[in-house]
Amino acid sequence: MIEVSQLTKRYRDLVAIEDLSFIVEKGEILGFLGPNGAGKSTTMRILTGFQPATSGTAKVAGFDVFEHPLEVKRRVGYLPEIPPLYPDMTIAAYLRFVAEIKGVPRGQRAGEVERVASLAQVSHVMDRLIANVSKGYKQRVGIAQALIGSPDVLILDEPTVGLDPSQILEVRDLIRSLAGKHTVILSTHILQEVVATCERVLIIAGGRRVAHEKLSELQERHPGKSLDEIFLDLTSATRTAAPARPAAAA
Amino acid sequence: MRNALAIARKEMLLYFTTPIAYVVFFATAFIGAFFFLSLTSEFQRRSMQFMQFGSPEGMGWLNLTDMVAAPLILNMGVIFIFVVPFLTMRLLAEERRQRTMELLMTAPIRSIEIVAGKYLGVLAMLAVLVALTAIFPMLLDTYGTGASGGGAIEWQTVGAALAGLFLCGAAFAAIGLFVSALTESQVVAALITFLVLLLTWVVGWKAADAEGAWRAVLEHLSSVQHLVAFGRGIVDLRDLVYFLSLVVLGLFLTHRAIEARRWA
Repeated sequence: MIEVSQLTKRYRDLVAIEDLSFIVEKGEILGFLGPNGAGKSTTMRILTGFQPATSGTAKVAGFDVFEHPLEVKRRVGYLPEIPPLYPDMTIAAYLRFVAEIKGVPRGQRAGEVERVASLAQVSHVMDRLIANVSKGYKQRVGIAQALIGSPDVLILDEPTVGLDPSQILEVRDLIRSLAGKHTVILSTHILQEVVATCERVLIIAGGRRVAHEKLSELQERHPGKSLDEIFLDLTSATRTAAPARPAAAA
Repeated sequence: MRNALAIARKEMLLYFTTPIAYVVFFATAFIGAFFFLSLTSEFQRRSMQFMQFGSPEGMGWLNLTDMVAAPLILNMGVIFIFVVPFLTMRLLAEERRQRTMELLMTAPIRSIEIVAGKYLGVLAMLAVLVALTAIFPMLLDTYGTGASGGGAIEWQTVGAALAGLFLCGAAFAAIGLFVSALTESQVVAALITFLVLLLTWVVGWKAADAEGAWRAVLEHLSSVQHLVAFGRGIVDLRDLVYFLSLVVLGLFLTHRAIEARRWA
């Protein structure tokens, strides 16, 4: 469903991701891990067509992100790191607007908004202004927005940030329930979240892939270690080093 | 097109849920009323004078269209220099600051549709402002009578002036939209837009001192100068081209600015 090959993104003299390749099968939930600044958000922005890559290709459902951006965008629901909300709109008006620009036909819009609102559990606050609801609700409206139109691929950048423990569990249940029907990339720092929701993990550090395998295989390769320890081992090389420079990387 | 309309509707909604629409409507109506009152009292003073001295040819050219309605509409063009920056400052600057640009850019819509939607939203607001301005000549037409009987207002002239006012506002809005694409700060967007629009007005003052080709160039650059012909009821191709080319240039640059941001 998602094919990334030799993807590289440079910002002037900073390398965000370097030669990144991975494949996500249909219906799979991929846990996308990495320390802050490892290039997770950049990868997701490229996959959603928000930013172009410097080199390499990314394909979603067989469509190249760069050559057929509209086809890709029709198939992807995206929750960015900071939920893209208009504070001066009510939740209902906001979700209706998103349904419109995502091309949900007029007749189905009301039903679709209702469906995602109940999935993300915001149905009872639909008439409140987004500016006036708590951070947890804002995050949930962000999740609802990504689900609109039931896209084949969901790309969620830290979906449980700002939620309280019971909401975190609800969101994890929601994500697990999407498996099979949707392909999900879930970025997070919280390792338990990966254990709870994902089958496979992709770990990147300093813009490079350091692991991409099944969670169980990862644990077999590092016997006797907890996931936290494995994560720290794999990412330790880049943890103290300064961000890679293209000259050094080349 | 459908996507552009969705964005235009969203912009309209945001104008009315924030105080911007109400403040801009109030300011325009208030200042319009102020100009209207001073222009009508000046008209009254002149007509009393002419009647006292019994000057029939004076009475002949003294009419409400050229003395009140047209100057009022030209003044509103100047007021647009102050008002339009408030309408356009939010459009793209706020999308960037709130990170909602990411929503628009990852939805299955083209960036040209984003630009068109935003612009249509402002045009709708401008149409309301022009309609507010049109109330004043309507009042004159209702309560006044022309020299030869009939209505007090020559609607061809006033209609041309109102169309010119709308075109002038549309050109200003395209400039404002572009400036809004360049910054994350609404205040910076408003100030720079105001500065640029003010410049297109005051450049006409310099034309008076200039000579030869420079004079022609400066006069052609002056936005208010181009509105004046519309106020006389003349729709000149040069004036149309001036305003429409500003619109096209503004929208083109806005589109370029949005695309350029992605590659940064």
